[in-house]
Amino acid sequence: MTANASPPLLEALDVSYTYSGLTPTRALEDLSLEVKENEFLAVLGPVGCGKTTLLRIFAGFLRPTKGSVRCAGSSIDGPGWQRGYVLQEQAIFPWMTVRENLEFGLLAKGVAPAARRAVSDQFLGLIGLSEFESAFPKELSTGMSKMVEVARVLATDPALLLLDEPFGALDAQTRARMQDALAGLWERRRKTVLFVTHDVEEALYLADRIVVLSPRPGKVKAHFAVDLPRPRSVETRFSTGFLAVKRKVWEATGPGP
Amino acid sequence: MPSLRVRRGAVALLALAVVYLIAAQVGRGRLPDRIWMGAHYVENVQLLPTWHSLAEEGAFLLESGILLDSVLVSSGRVFIGLLLGSLAGIVLGLLTGWGTRVESLADPWVTLFRFTPALALLPLYVVWFGYGEASKVLLIATNVAVITLLGAHHGVRAVPRVYLDAAASLGASRWLRFRKIVLPASFPSIFNSVRVAAGLAWVTIVVAELIDARMPSLGYLLALSGAYPRVPTMLIGIATVGALVLVFDLLALLLHARATRWMGRAG
Amino acid sequence: MARRSLLWILSLAALIVAYTLVARAISRPDVVPPAEDIAGAFAALLGRGHQLPASDMPAHHHHSSDQVDTLTQEGVTLQASLAVTTARVLFGLVVGLPLGMLMGLLMGWSRRADDYLHPIYVLIRSVPPLSLITYIMLWLGHSEAHRLIPVVYAVAVTAVIPTYHGVRDVAGKYVVAARSLGARGRLLLIKILLPAAAPAVLGGLRYSIAIAWMTAVGAEMLMAENGMGNLLVGGGMWSSRLQTRSDPAVIVVGILALAAAGWAMDMLARTVSARLTRWAT
Ligand SMILES: Nc1ncnc2c1ncn2[C@@H]1O[C@H](COP(=O)(O)OP(=O)(O)OP(=O)(O)O)[C@@H](O)[C@H]1O
Ligand SMILES: [Mg+2]
Repeated sequence: MTANASPPLLEALDVSYTYSGLTPTRALEDLSLEVKENEFLAVLGPVGCGKTTLLRIFAGFLRPTKGSVRCAGSSIDGPGWQRGYVLQEQAIFPWMTVRENLEFGLLAKGVAPAARRAVSDQFLGLIGLSEFESAFPKELSTGMSKMVEVARVLATDPALLLLDEPFGALDAQTRARMQDALAGLWERRRKTVLFVTHDVEEALYLADRIVVLSPRPGKVKAHFAVDLPRPRSVETRFSTGFLAVKRKVWEATGPGP
Repeated sequence: MPSLRVRRGAVALLALAVVYLIAAQVGRGRLPDRIWMGAHYVENVQLLPTWHSLAEEGAFLLESGILLDSVLVSSGRVFIGLLLGSLAGIVLGLLTGWGTRVESLADPWVTLFRFTPALALLPLYVVWFGYGEASKVLLIATNVAVITLLGAHHGVRAVPRVYLDAAASLGASRWLRFRKIVLPASFPSIFNSVRVAAGLAWVTIVVAELIDARMPSLGYLLALSGAYPRVPTMLIGIATVGALVLVFDLLALLLHARATRWMGRAG
Repeated sequence: MARRSLLWILSLAALIVAYTLVARAISRPDVVPPAEDIAGAFAALLGRGHQLPASDMPAHHHHSSDQVDTLTQEGVTLQASLAVTTARVLFGLVVGLPLGMLMGLLMGWSRRADDYLHPIYVLIRSVPPLSLITYIMLWLGHSEAHRLIPVVYAVAVTAVIPTYHGVRDVAGKYVVAARSLGARGRLLLIKILLPAAAPAVLGGLRYSIAIAWMTAVGAEMLMAENGMGNLLVGGGMWSSRLQTRSDPAVIVVGILALAAAGWAMDMLARTVSARLTRWAT
């Protein structure tokens, strides 16, 4: 492993999170995690193990009940565009057109209209929705909406992307296309990505490294490095290297010992 | 060919009119025309006026200008009351809905306010603002404000968390989130409350116009026609108020359709 | 939670203090009655004020006004008035809600019924119930009918739309799902339609309650010799109503009583609907 090559951009140290309520739920327990700069890290875990909770802590919406989280060396207090967060739920703004959705983050930054337009033009082309620029989201499919949400976050040019099962609702073909789009984007733009999924293959195809969480309360159960060459393609999905890692990860996530 | 929907609606309304005409015809001579009013008898009451006497009375009310003047005066009051009331109500509702600290501070005041049947304020307003125009308009405004306050408050409270989180995550300040997320997302609820309030404003004015009762006004027209009693005038008065409510509502719906083109897809 | 109740109490105290200060500053008890006048009117309206010997309340001046005098002479008390109005509100709810819900159910369930009934419903809804009072009186004489029918009417009209939307928009997809699972008839109605529409219907219930109170008080203000509306306008025949100068202390007492009663009924409705729709939210 390339130890101490670069300091971690994102770091969680012994993080625990408990939802208070009538029956308090321990979602995370003593979880430690590092994401290096420009790394693509996938987080795998069973349903309800605290993946979303972890992401919301990194995004700044939740404060860990124990432990600490830091981004670029300073502790995280509150949400901000530097950590672009795509929610698991549908969160495209239905009262804004596709273009307005894409430009929202720039509007928040105070970017001038002409510059906003240039950026949104670029992303409209990138996600192939140019002809939908002035459509309201009700005219988009669930998958198209998700693409807009991802692009909306990318448009603000954050240092870090936090993606919560962005392609969960898509069919296999679209999913593969979206994965290629995201991979291509990442290769060109080189961002740090924390990608939550419970699809092993998706994690393998996209990530440099995979972290597997245990069932609730979530803690890190296993790490895997994915040393597959980039750019990856359909060939990669069926290569022996891919299948070998897939087997290892599969065994780690399965109910086995 | 109009749509099935329109045709069915027309059939229903036509049937209603026919039923009324038949009832009026059958009732003529059979329904009592001398009625005990608690203190005295009134003579020559047409409980179900025929089409003919309705038309005659309508023509008289129109030609004399009574109806038109009454409509203008009463609509004016409703309109001003609606404007003032919804402005105050919406601003307060947004404030109490969006500012958590303001909410708990304003809570008892709002509770007191919302459970006060606004009509009960009428005698108080007479004492405070006199018998003039102010009492009537303010009574309407108060009633409207209660409804729109709740509409705005709950509208803001019901804005889905995900939109606010997504916006915050994109770096939107509190003010931008209010402007671009809270306002549009709560608009349907606010608008609905204004629509409801407009209906209530017309209920209010029927009572409010009894203070310093004076023509021209629809409220007093109704009261007078009840005192005589003159049923054709009364029915025309009721129908006029109904028609005005309907017109206000249709206007509101048109505006609503334009302002919420983004909505669609239930759920 | 504790912080919240603290703020609540502080705010309420502030409301009372602010009111007292304003009343002091204006010092026109006939316009803004001071708190002791309101307390006096309250006591008098409970039927105690006049019986009490003056020595029993030495610190307070005895509150008396034309309206209080007229009301006590007529034997009107706050509790009796409130009871009468509450009874009218309850009657309106008990009769009006099923009527309105039935219509909403019918319109929400069947496209054909909706097509025929909706225009008629819009006509009915547009007529303010209070404008019907005299017409009802002509038909049914000077009786309880013209106080109750407007309340029933108002409640029924407001209960239609929530039920309609609940059945048509909310329940729609569950009905589709249940049908493809083979549910039909009573099962569909009782297990799917009603529960799915319940939150919307119950949300509308709270609104119906508010409307019922308003209409009942309005009808009483216009034409009744008992109830809170009568107390507020200070009695008198209806043609001379609202012509005599009122005592603001009485009105404030009346409004507070109405607000308290409305609040209590709303709380009850909220508790009941929370129990009935525990699965929601
Ligand atoms: N707002 C909340 N209040 C109380 N408990 C919660 C809340 N949100 C989540 N939980 C609990 O915390 C645990 C972790 O939830 P979380 O949403 O992080 O899971 P997840 O790994 O994202 O699951 P999924 O794969 O289904 O998205 C779950 O057991 C859930 O019941
Ligand atoms: Mg999740």
